[in-house]
Amino acid sequence: MAKKKMTRRDFFKAGLLTGAGACLGAGVLKPTGLWAAPAKVKGPVKIGYQAIMSGTLAGYGEFHKMGVDMAVDEINKKGGIAGAKVVVEYRDSTLKAPEAIKNARYFVDSWGADFLGGVDSSGQALALAPVMKQLGKPIIITHAATEKLNEIEVFQKGIKEVFRISSPTYQDGNAAAFVAKDLPAMKWATISPKYEYGYTCWSMFKNTLAKLKPGVQFVAESWAPFGTTDFRAHINTILDAKPDGLYSVEWAGELISMMKQAGQAGLFNKIKHVMLPVGAAMDVLEGLGKEMPDNIWISGRYFFQYPKDKRNTAWVASFVKRWKHYPAYVSETGYSSIYAFKQAVEAAGSKDAKKVIAALEGMKMQSPAGERVFRKQDHQAVYTVPWGLTAADPKYPFKVMGKMVVIPAQDFFNRPPFKGPESMPPFKK
Amino acid sequence: MSRAGVYLIYGLAALALVAIGLFAGRFVLYLTMRVMLLAIFALGYNLLLGRTGLLSFGHGALYAAGAYGLGLFNLHVSHDPLLGLLVGVAFAALIALIIGFFCVRQTEIYFAMLTLAFGMMFFSLIWNLREVTGGDDGLIGISRAPLLGLPIGRDYQFYFLVLACFALAVWVIHRIRGSAFGLVLAGIRENHQRTSFAGIPVKNYRLAAFVVSGAFAGLAGSLATLLESNANPFSAHWSHSAEPVLVSLMGGLQTFSGPLVGSVIFVVLREVIERFTENWMLWFGVILLAIIMGLRGGVMGGLEKRLGRARAARPGGAS
Repeated sequence: MAKKKMTRRDFFKAGLLTGAGACLGAGVLKPTGLWAAPAKVKGPVKIGYQAIMSGTLAGYGEFHKMGVDMAVDEINKKGGIAGAKVVVEYRDSTLKAPEAIKNARYFVDSWGADFLGGVDSSGQALALAPVMKQLGKPIIITHAATEKLNEIEVFQKGIKEVFRISSPTYQDGNAAAFVAKDLPAMKWATISPKYEYGYTCWSMFKNTLAKLKPGVQFVAESWAPFGTTDFRAHINTILDAKPDGLYSVEWAGELISMMKQAGQAGLFNKIKHVMLPVGAAMDVLEGLGKEMPDNIWISGRYFFQYPKDKRNTAWVASFVKRWKHYPAYVSETGYSSIYAFKQAVEAAGSKDAKKVIAALEGMKMQSPAGERVFRKQDHQAVYTVPWGLTAADPKYPFKVMGKMVVIPAQDFFNRPPFKGPESMPPFKK
Repeated sequence: MSRAGVYLIYGLAALALVAIGLFAGRFVLYLTMRVMLLAIFALGYNLLLGRTGLLSFGHGALYAAGAYGLGLFNLHVSHDPLLGLLVGVAFAALIALIIGFFCVRQTEIYFAMLTLAFGMMFFSLIWNLREVTGGDDGLIGISRAPLLGLPIGRDYQFYFLVLACFALAVWVIHRIRGSAFGLVLAGIRENHQRTSFAGIPVKNYRLAAFVVSGAFAGLAGSLATLLESNANPFSAHWSHSAEPVLVSLMGGLQTFSGPLVGSVIFVVLREVIERFTENWMLWFGVILLAIIMGLRGGVMGGLEKRLGRARAARPGGAS
């Protein structure tokens, strides 16, 4: 990008301004509070967004887009980001790391993106981190959940360009353990995906629950490879072990298959406590409909019934009105990621990457999911997502949360420096 | 086309590649590197498919062997990129030797299925050996240390390493095709019984072709790992093994330059389509279908035929 040369007239103007500023004093030059008009930012603010838009998980891409499109339309209707229009371009991330990298490079180097967003797969998020450092633009991850991203890439390796607005595996592992400790279940088992996400969540759940509830036992593990459609063997393995509780981070279509087959096998009559950390995803709830049993513990990265405040209620209503769909969690995280950039740019008074990164660090924002704070040390947004028991409600054609349990995020998010037991919950008050 | 004409085209292409390295923006640079890596992969692969007549669906595994070979060496032993590339290529060749040993006993669909099975076995191995390979997260944090004192950390520096490897690969593969060894491979493709009656150990030749093409797959894989700074398990997946098949088919199986042209089309076409629609897979598929069905013998095969016909039509033009 060619820098504009300073003409003599500009120089003169600058001189005049400085002179005027000196006369009037700092208070007038840097207005605060009511006086603070939004700083003007030049040109459109370009955001490159990638999510999975092909294959069996393509529905997630659609949900991402619904949220992002809504944010963009709202913002542009109200005058844009600091006076500049927001433009978003989408790309299919697939699930492969080289594709995600190519997209990021295209967005920044060819299309001229100021900021990036999206990304569903943990492997892709990890592969992108060093690339973002090279490209020098901030990215807000809206779905990929691996805790290695904030703990190792951002905190340990110091990659400043990566932020995450969605909750990481702490929600699936640690928070689940906080809920499980109050259940009358001492023997737990899992059917989970046979990849890093499944292993990580289960081990986090085990470690935290063992600390919270000494004497608890973990009796069986059955790992289902990516793309599993027949869960009967896994279900039988679990039934043979006779646990009191089943924990499963299966998600999307595979979770739907597992739940249907578990119902046919009578699993829910034998195992009373079932926990699904990503069961509150809209594709799963809608996909299962009435086949989702009552009294299953579910959670996600956001659930449209929480928080029950004005902002969220209004947002859900306008989302349903526009898309004839309840917002999925990636819709909310996608939507809020655009607003996070808006707030950061307006706070920085510029879309310059370094200034926006500085503004995002430690930034507090209000969003449909409630208040979020981007932790300065690891760039992870800290916010609370409820756990709840499924229940039928005549207002909805699918199961929703009846009883909710809300554990504050501060109590179960791992803390910097991410070393040793002091960094992991439970924390001493 | 005359020999001089061919050299002229290759010379111009080389000049264009150098010019891209010197003047192009970062994204064009990156995309050109992706084209060259795919071309190395496909050129080597076509020694097996186009030259020897063996359809392998397991070359993704050999690409991944190169990628993980370099990746593990880089993370645990030494950052030296040259040693890393050597280790990557050697590891890929070793895996090719093992897989090939069992596969070359069969031909046609049996060979294809066996390579597919071995390839997916290797994929599962990478996926499941989490402590070593990082599971589905892959190997991350692979660095580009200076090569013999020359920095390659930045894209415009690394580009010339890729270009050098690419030029070397093109030259070596061209030599192999023209050598006695290459001619025997063609003989095996045309009639393996007759070749074996001529006293040639067909299986050994097939194995040699498999290992050589595997070594090039490994070279592409290790360079890609340096480029992306990570190795990922999907590179061993059969869907990745299908890429050089498509590229070779598109460009022309029976020509030397077919995989080169195919690689350019494959990467650039997709990039162009993605600028218009997120639903790129559909359009990409339709166009690939049109090329493969419409141009028999691929783009280069079709072009050669067209040129040949034009020359034959001219009086006294036939050569």
